[in-house]
Order: sequence, then structure tokens, then C-alpha cells
Amino acid sequence: MAEYGDRLAPLGAYFKDWPDWAQFLPGTLDTVMWEGEPRGLPWLTAPRAYMCRTDILKEVGWDRVPQTFAEMVKLAGDATIVEGGALQRQGFTPLEDWQEYISLIWTLGGSIYKDDGSPNFDSPEAKAALQFMYDRRRAVLPNEQTAGLPETTGALLASDLVACQWGNLWGAPATSDPIWEKIELFPGFTHPDFPNSKPVVQVFNDWLAIPAYSKHIPEAVEFLKFLGSAENLNTYNSHFGSFPPRKDAWFGYVEQDVVMKKMGELMGQYGVGFADIRETAQFRDVLMAEMPLYFSDVQSLDAALKNIQEKYTQILRDAGRLP
Amino acid sequence: MNPKLYTFLWAVATVVFIILSSLAVASVAKLIARWRGKNRTYQARTFASYFFASPWIVGYIIFVIGPTLASLYWSFTRFKLPDPPVWVGLQNYIQLLTTDDQFRVSILNSIYVTLFGLPLQLAMALVLALLLYRRLPGEQAFRMIYYLPVMLAANAAMLITWRLVLNPNNGILNTLIRMIEDIFPFLVPVRQGVVWFTEITNAAFLGLQRGDFNLLQQIVARGLPGPEVMPLWHQSQLWSKPAIIFIGVWSCGMMMIYLAALSSVPPHLYEAALVDGASGWQRFWRITFPMISPATFYNLVVGIIATLQIFEQSYVLTDNGGPAQSTYFVAYYLWRSTFRFNKIGYGAAMSWILLVLILVLTLIQFRLANRWVYYEYEEA
Repeated sequence: MAEYGDRLAPLGAYFKDWPDWAQFLPGTLDTVMWEGEPRGLPWLTAPRAYMCRTDILKEVGWDRVPQTFAEMVKLAGDATIVEGGALQRQGFTPLEDWQEYISLIWTLGGSIYKDDGSPNFDSPEAKAALQFMYDRRRAVLPNEQTAGLPETTGALLASDLVACQWGNLWGAPATSDPIWEKIELFPGFTHPDFPNSKPVVQVFNDWLAIPAYSKHIPEAVEFLKFLGSAENLNTYNSHFGSFPPRKDAWFGYVEQDVVMKKMGELMGQYGVGFADIRETAQFRDVLMAEMPLYFSDVQSLDAALKNIQEKYTQILRDAGRLP
Repeated sequence: MNPKLYTFLWAVATVVFIILSSLAVASVAKLIARWRGKNRTYQARTFASYFFASPWIVGYIIFVIGPTLASLYWSFTRFKLPDPPVWVGLQNYIQLLTTDDQFRVSILNSIYVTLFGLPLQLAMALVLALLLYRRLPGEQAFRMIYYLPVMLAANAAMLITWRLVLNPNNGILNTLIRMIEDIFPFLVPVRQGVVWFTEITNAAFLGLQRGDFNLLQQIVARGLPGPEVMPLWHQSQLWSKPAIIFIGVWSCGMMMIYLAALSSVPPHLYEAALVDGASGWQRFWRITFPMISPATFYNLVVGIIATLQIFEQSYVLTDNGGPAQSTYFVAYYLWRSTFRFNKIGYGAAMSWILLVLILVLTLIQFRLANRWVYYEYEEA
């Protein structure tokens, strides 16, 4: 929404008296708001949580999932197997996900923007989150000459090649797979040095909107309301493996499927919307450039953060979001 | 309106437009011929020629010249969709050439692949052409087999296959290397040396690119890698460009050009050389290589143009320009700027800088060609 903002038609007047509006989850509504007014309708919700194979954890001496950042690093190392210079099992995946980095900043109680809208990558939270990702990566890949996992088909978590992963259910085994009896879903971990630290389930929300230049906004809104009915959202999301963004659409597969139900509970308790990420495409490129350089020891942690801070500030300035 | 009728009317309108525009172009050409004092027959022939060529000419103007001119205009604007373009003069160019780190990285990556990849492609193509030029039984079948990679190489499906082939863990290539080393153990230190050399050279390049030689120092300090260390191909920033070069060498599209050139070398030159007692190497270096130099020149020019515009390998093989932007080429950055960042003007400026770069390199090649390219007709 931060990308399109006022280029989308304001819909507040159309939804104000729509009784269904109250059914939409507050977290999903945050995603479609721009300057206090809804500019779209939530369409799907895909929370991202941590998942670990409890059988592999037991095998390496863990009787529970990690609860702190340090424990996650230790587990990632303990569950990794390196043979012949190549990974045979990876303790954690993914190792360089920029979206997880943002989630970790939030977990530590930080934010990616300061109050004046400038980037906040000179904060202790940003530093600690990136350091954690480095440590965890090093626990899995002892050096840059270690080959990654072999190619495989299907979900990694079901293949015995991975012990833990972060992500949504799209990258996980099918919820009907019996492997889920050996997988534990959990919201994340905390850091004792950060008092505001709390687990975060990052919630990706997709939405539909109407361009501001449309000449048929009332008709388009009616169609949007039709698409956004409880029944339609339930049907669509059941095929997509995601959650309908409204409470009264949480029937059928959402309640009957044990995995979906658990994920829904985590989302309800720990969910934070992946929203208001400004100039996302360029921001992603900056992170995907600087993070791997730090992870592979080409540059230091401070240099990586400095580069991210400077480059992202310039991007926001060029986009007119900063003076 | 009925959609089928709407489509039909558009089709009719398109055909009418093509006919009318062809008539217009042909009429203009005929008018010019008349002004130049040509006779009626000449005028009629001119009209007919341009009439039949016009569909292509008009299409070229509409779909190539028009967008090119629009791109040139946009390159001088701040044009970020969906806002209209705003004239900013040379700002895009200045930013690209002075402050944009990503552009600098992408240009250097493109130059790397051109500088190191192209000579290898030329060499491999020449070697294969020389092998295939021998009159051996089954040569047609061999030619077809060796030409298959040309047709398949940069195809997106093939690149996905290459990801599997180049997987450092269980990919076919590394597995093959291990199998060969099991049979010939003396090759293990050779492989270690090759790995180390590749890591050092690429780390040095990375250091020049980033202004930080930290990684190079670490690799030098670490010394020769252990026997278990295999090439990491597209999974490592030190191996991703060599992986792309490897695929380029494998495709060897230049081989057919060399094959045709070899066929045109007069046999009497070899006969005379044999009579004079020239060795195989001397015949190659003194006769073959100079006589096929026009083909080498052509391959060089076309190769530079092609390798500076690499895109698919970056997009498909290495996960969006990674790892660590090691395969972030100019064409890829251009695409991202235009279609992901919606910065049309910025992407347009990038494309014009790439054009100028390619033009300059091509002109330099043409200038230098006088020194080493031999055209047989020049002597005549």
C-alpha cells in the first residue's frame, strides 16, 4: 500500500455502512489503510512462523523448540550435518531471507523506520538481528567453501534435509501430510538483552484495490464486495493454502485442519502485518546486496548496516518520502 | 459491440492501415525518384519495390524506431509509473555514472563475463570447428550433436536444468569430477589448484569492485583448499560468473561461423605449405588463422554485443542477480529498474549508456581490425 497510496481509489465511504467490514481481521485492515482511509480489501493472509522437526531435534538432544536467539543458533549448528565439504542436513532454512530480517527486528522490539520516516538500521535491534542471522548461518555453514543441500523435490521439511524452517505454509509440507505429527509450529524466540523482545509471526496480506483513475468505482466496489464475501474468500483461500482475512470465513478447512488451526492461533496471538514497507523493490535489492556481503565476510557488520542505512535513506529521498 | 465483430473490424482496419501506409511510403519513394530525374520505368520499379518492402519498413518505424526515440526522451526524464514523465536533463545519466553503486557493480560484472568468457568461447568454437572440419564418417551427425547446445543453451528451461547440473552437492558436473578423480587420484590436487585459482581471481575482482579486499586476504591466508572442496558454481559469489562463462562456452554458437570460414580457405595454400615442409601448427598459425580472421572478427564483435546483454542466466540460474549481486548484470539491473522499480526514465538512461558502451567497443574493434583481420580480396 505504501507503494501505491493515493493512486488507489479511497473506499472509506463505500465500506462505512457495509456490515461485512467488521468481520475483517484488524491486522489485515492495517495493510489496506493509507492516510487513515481504506484503499483496498484484504484478500488473503499468509502468516509466517517457525517450524521444527521434533524427531530431528530429539535426535540431536533437544526435547523442545528453541526459545531464545542463542538457542536457535545452537540448535541450527547441532542439527546440521556436513560431510565431504557439503551439507547433508541443514539445521535451519532459509539463511539469508530479507523478510525474516525485518521480522527479527520486530521480534527484538525495534522498527525499520524512525519517527521521522527515515530508516532505522543504525538501531541496536537492527544490529542484533543481523548479527544473529550471521551467527546462525555460520553454525550451519562453517565456511564459504561448504556446498549447499542437494537438489530435491517437494517440501524440504518433509525430506529430512532440514531440521527447522521459517516461512508460510506454501513452502511447508501439505497439511494433510502425516509428517506434521513430527513438526512443531512456534512463533519464534526472545532475546534476554532486549526487554521489549517478543515472538512475532509476520503476516503477509494480499489485497485487491481499484485504481483512482477508474470511471466505474461504485460498480468496482460492488464486485469487490462480492469477491470479499465470506464464502468466496473461504473457497479461494482453501485452494491457495492461506487464510481468509475475515473471521466469519474461518470455517471448513480452517477449523478442521489441525495445522491451519494452530497457525491461525499463532497469527491471532503474535501476528504483525508485513505492511508499510516503503519502496519495497529497491529496499529488497539493497538488503539482498548488503546482507550476503556481510554473511560471506566480504564486509563487516557495521559496514553492512551503514550501507543499508545510507542507500535506503537515499532511495526514500529520491522517492520524495524524505526531505 | 459484439466482441467478434470488434475483433474483425480491428483486423480489417490493420490490413487497411498496412496497405495505405505501404502506398504512402511507395508514393514518397516514387516522388523522390521523379525529383531526381529518373525515367518512368525507374519510378515504377521504385514504387513497386517500396510498396512490397513497406510493411516491414512501417512496422520497423512503429515498433523499433518509435520506442527507441521514446526511450531516448524518457532517459532525460524522471518517469516513475504511474506519474507522467518530468524533464530532468542529464540527472539520470549523472546519477548512474557517478553515484549509483549498483550500476557500477553491474557494469563490472558484465565486463568480467565479456573479458574472460568471450576468449574462451572463441577458442572452444574454433577447436570444435577444426575437429568437425575433418572429413570423417558421421560428420553430419556430429555437427548436429555439437550444434544442439547452441539451440538450447540460454533457453529458460535449459537454465533450470543447468541449476540441477551445477548443484555443488549432487549435480552431474561435480559428481562427474569426483568419479574421474576416483579413477585418477592425481587429478585431485589439480582440482584443488583450479578451485583456489578461481577463488583468488574472483575474490580479487570482488575486491576491486567493492573496494574491499577482505575476502581475498582470507582466501590467501587459508591457503590451498582441502580435497573435499568442490566448485560451488551458482551457489557462490566466487563461482557464479565462472558458471555462466562455462554455460556460454558449452553453447559455442560461433562454431558454425568458423566452420563456414574454414571451408573457404583455399586448399592450394595448404598444399604449398606441405610442399615447403610446414608443420601442422605452422599451417594453422600461418594459413588457417589469418584466413579465418574475418570470422574471428565477426564472432568477436557479435560476442561482445551479446555478452554485454546477458539477462536470462542472471534471472533463472542464479536467483535474481545473486549471490551477493555477483551476477547482477547491466541488462538485469535495467530490467529491474524498469519493471520492478517502475523507474522507466532511469532504466531508459541505463539502456542508452549500454548502447554507447557497445558502440564504442565495436568502433574500437573496427579500428583495430586493420591490424589483424585479413580479407583475401584486399590483396587482389
